[in-house]
Amino acid sequence: MATTEVLSEVIGSVWRVEKSQGDSVAEGEVIMILESMKMEIPVEAPVTGTLSEIKVAPEGSVDEDQVLCLIES
Amino acid sequence: MSDRELEDKPGFWAKKISELEKRRGHAAEMGGPDNIARQHNNGRLTIRERIAGLTDVESFREVGTLAGTGKYDENLKLISVTPATYVAGSARINGRPVAIGGEDFTVRGGTSFGAQRRKGGQGGYIEDLAHHYKMPLVNLIDGAGGSVTSAKRRGFVVFPGVDGFERSVELLGEVPVVSAVLGTAAGGPAGRAILSHFSIMVQGSSQIFAAGPPVVKRSLSQTITKEDLGGPAVAVNKGGSIHNAAETEEEAFEQIKKFLSFMPQNVWEMPPVLPVDDPVERCEEALLNIVPEKRTQSYDMKKLVGMVIDSDSGFEIRPTFGKAAITMLARLGGRPVGIVANNPKVYGGAMDADAARKQIHFMELCDTFHIPLVFFVDVPGFMVGLKAELDGTLREGMRAVYMAGQLKVPTLTLVIRKCYGMAGMATCNKSDIDLKIAWPSGEWGSLPVEGGVAAAFRREIQAADDPKAKEKELEAGLRAYSSPFRTAEALAVEEIIDPRETRPILCEYIALAESRLKIGLGPRAKAGVAP
Repeated sequence: MATTEVLSEVIGSVWRVEKSQGDSVAEGEVIMILESMKMEIPVEAPVTGTLSEIKVAPEGSVDEDQVLCLIES
Repeated sequence: MSDRELEDKPGFWAKKISELEKRRGHAAEMGGPDNIARQHNNGRLTIRERIAGLTDVESFREVGTLAGTGKYDENLKLISVTPATYVAGSARINGRPVAIGGEDFTVRGGTSFGAQRRKGGQGGYIEDLAHHYKMPLVNLIDGAGGSVTSAKRRGFVVFPGVDGFERSVELLGEVPVVSAVLGTAAGGPAGRAILSHFSIMVQGSSQIFAAGPPVVKRSLSQTITKEDLGGPAVAVNKGGSIHNAAETEEEAFEQIKKFLSFMPQNVWEMPPVLPVDDPVERCEEALLNIVPEKRTQSYDMKKLVGMVIDSDSGFEIRPTFGKAAITMLARLGGRPVGIVANNPKVYGGAMDADAARKQIHFMELCDTFHIPLVFFVDVPGFMVGLKAELDGTLREGMRAVYMAGQLKVPTLTLVIRKCYGMAGMATCNKSDIDLKIAWPSGEWGSLPVEGGVAAAFRREIQAADDPKAKEKELEAGLRAYSSPFRTAEALAVEEIIDPRETRPILCEYIALAESRLKIGLGPRAKAGVAP
């Protein structure tokens, strides 16, 4: 089992979280959508696995390289 | 016996040839089996394996093979030669000549070798070879440069620049220069790596910095590993000192070959055109719906570009640095082109300082080697916010605008979606024909309607009973004017096209550019003072 940290590529805010803790995700599947520069920024799973932790909530602000969630694979 | 009589003896020259063979043998042995094993255990190839891996079979013609330090017995008979710490020569890559050389880390860690003439590095024979024969230079870097011990050998310390970068600098305007950092590079070799058009390093086995961990410890009392200080995560992804990273040395060689495949031999020649299987008339159906109708949704710009260029021809430079911009060498109808695209997935494609730096380098690269540029535009403007201001985004962004204004190479501007403000100006070449082609999804202006309305109609909005509704109403009113077709009526954008027609149209213009390119060959004129 490996843990993958999913990082925010942008400074902005969390608009919608599409998945819940414990959900399984496929590589490329959208986990959440951030908002930055008036754009929706989908955060896609970099690997297939299980979402073991979601570290942010809607409307919360995020920084570049902040850990958004963890995937066990 | 006199020399005359000696020469007449049978076998005299055969003996000389045998000495030559012996000396060549010492050169081939490099630093000896133990040091070679250590190099391999560190996951690295030897310099001779590297040259063989990168160049066409048996194409390497070595120069300075015999340079080294000879060891003689009391009768001055040769015992052995420790080879010089650099291997150099000419070779072919995909049939095209290059000058190639690199430090031999198995000999004294590749430290500089003092001889009458330098073999490699800055000011070395290898640079002269590339300069005089006007062919690309490939530097395979694996050394830390000078050693303080050389002062003892020499009897004095040298002034900086005795082995100067003059030739290295000159080469940047003459021939393609590629540097691969294949070990730990500091000092001179690190500097040499940067003075290149394309640089690459290998994950896990290469690092680059001005000075390594011991100097950092001594100077700043900071303890840091060499990987944390100068591995690709720092040097490629964040610092941008090196352009690309590869997983293995072999992959680095493949990237170098790919880069050179787009380059002319020198600035006096045309970039190489290759036969193409992909029909230039191909109209990609999927382009029609690739841009989401909802303006706040992004899409995959790399996929979009990939559908337009000759299939599998793209080679991205700096994929992990300044990601708001995508810079890619590719082919359209077999002809090399440079593609600058904004990436709507990263800050909506807004130009930040790193993206600007990346775009500037790439524009200069293409302009120098007469490779036409195609901009795939979706840029909402310069990046905003405190971090952006601290990074000097405005200055870097205006430098991109300045550099776009200096371009001599034919340039096409294809507006996919947004083209706003000064960042939008950096996607056009006003000294060229300034042909701007847009998709129907194109939108442009000095600044986007949202935000712009809030600033321009602040009082009116505040005075309204429902300020939010008023703002929306004003926005909707202005948006009616922002149809791209209205701009096309005024010929302020020259053509609006069906997205599916993109490839045939771009291929046609790139083919038309050929005559222009041919009369513009030669060194690129130096610009004035960049902001």
